[in-house]
Amino acid sequence: MLKKFLLSAIFLVWTHEAIATVEGEKAEAFMTEIGNKVITLLTNHSISPQEKAAQFQDVLETKFNVRAIGKFVLGRYWKQASKEEKEKFLALFKVSTVSCYATRFSEYTSEKFEVVGSRTEKDGGVTVLTRIVRPNGQSILIDWKIFEKKGEMRIYDVILEGISMSITQRSEYASVIQQGGGKIQALITALEKKSGRQSR
Amino acid sequence: MISLLKLNIWTLLSFTRLSSPRRRGSREINHTIIPNLFRDLFDKKMLSDPGSRPGLKVQHDNGYLDPRLREDDNCGINVKCSLLVRASIAFLIFLSLTLSPSYAQQDAWSYADNEQHPGKEEKLGIDEWIEVMNPPPSAEDNDPFESFNRLVFSFNEFLDMVLIEPLSRMYHDLVPEFARERVGYALRNLSEPVVFANNLLQGDLEGARVTLGRFVVNSTLGLAGLFDASTDCGLPYKKEDFGLTLASWGIDAGPYLVLPVLGPSNPRDAWGKAGDYALDPINWWAYHRKKEVYSYTRTGVQIIDAKTENLELMNDLRNNAIDFYATLRAWYYERRKDLMLEKEERVALDTPRPDDDDDDE
Repeated sequence: MLKKFLLSAIFLVWTHEAIATVEGEKAEAFMTEIGNKVITLLTNHSISPQEKAAQFQDVLETKFNVRAIGKFVLGRYWKQASKEEKEKFLALFKVSTVSCYATRFSEYTSEKFEVVGSRTEKDGGVTVLTRIVRPNGQSILIDWKIFEKKGEMRIYDVILEGISMSITQRSEYASVIQQGGGKIQALITALEKKSGRQSR
Repeated sequence: MISLLKLNIWTLLSFTRLSSPRRRGSREINHTIIPNLFRDLFDKKMLSDPGSRPGLKVQHDNGYLDPRLREDDNCGINVKCSLLVRASIAFLIFLSLTLSPSYAQQDAWSYADNEQHPGKEEKLGIDEWIEVMNPPPSAEDNDPFESFNRLVFSFNEFLDMVLIEPLSRMYHDLVPEFARERVGYALRNLSEPVVFANNLLQGDLEGARVTLGRFVVNSTLGLAGLFDASTDCGLPYKKEDFGLTLASWGIDAGPYLVLPVLGPSNPRDAWGKAGDYALDPINWWAYHRKKEVYSYTRTGVQIIDAKTENLELMNDLRNNAIDFYATLRAWYYERRKDLMLEKEERVALDTPRPDDDDDDE
């Protein structure tokens, strides 16, 4: 019995590893492609800033699963939220994520983007490890959590120097909701205020 | 491990010679310690020999002392024992009282909620089940002193605004990037002995080897640490501090704390800061030569250097955050958690996942 169990366990681990490497390579190629796309976009001075922002937004929306991230980031409050609140929140979350990353990436111009490797996680996702090398030689480590769904790869989390953007944002949003008396509306109001502040 | 730390506190207390041998044996800490300590200070034996305590006023030659006067003398002597000692004792007791993580578990809510991820259950492996069963505590559930912390946080933000950030900006604008980088590397090189000590305390011989190699290479080839020659030789820098050492010994972090000036911390990392200061040979040297001013200058430069390095990141975070306090709290929590892990231990399981409801329309 034990022998059988051990054998099947070894088999499972082995097949898991075998699948992992293939998926890892695929995910690494996916990240390299996105990286190159973003860098050409950022260093391309022939298009207008508006056009740049629009293209950048397109990359974010097609390559990130903003809806799944938004859902995760709302955490324990997702189940409490009404359908209306959910939609409202997701729309605002998308706007805030796009504007946040647009400003963040616009500062990284002369940096080099390198894919270092990948790691298959036990939940079926792949974490691609990348590095942004700054002109002075210092590097920033960024990990990207990628899942494949219906034959399409998408980014589900960004982990900057070991800090998961989704987890920190979930913690922040939970704090905002708690301060607002446990109402999701408090977060929606705050996000509306923020997007109004940034668009002005 | 908590009891170990409490023992530690007692050792420290006995160093300050404030606790009597009778009390030192007891390992229990409660609110009555401060009054007891002071009562012990003024027991009959001490009072009967006024010469031994020059600051003490004894009104009657026959040894009689007005009880109210005794109270007054308490104050007089306490000033002599210095406010610093009193404050540090109070702080230590505060830390030990708050070190118990039990309250954190009271309201532990699991983020690893299966209902959020329908259609994914069959993919759960053993390790993931372990994680689902023991959800990592989240930063916002580990902050029982939030209102106090927010107060200190706004003080720090104010200090930052009026003093530290202007200094950083000046440093950034006046000193060319090349020079600033040299300063940063030199400071880091000076901190390697502490990293080495922590490597050893953690039993990490491989890490100690790398750190020693770094220190030797950078101090020589790197021209007294001005250049980081060792990263190119395959000896990359890995931060270690005494807070991480305490963590490796199994000591709980305790609740989130915002320290004045120093910022985000917790009791364990606050101890760690003190430990790092004590472990640093440069501080010993400065202490014995009565040249503490070097230690202070170095700390000051370190603060400005770190601040300048992170100026953009911090402003970016501040601008994008709705609740900057909560963001920094979560960042600190995640960062410390990550520093505790070795490279091969890293996993990213607590992340968004695909489910049936995440397709864009």
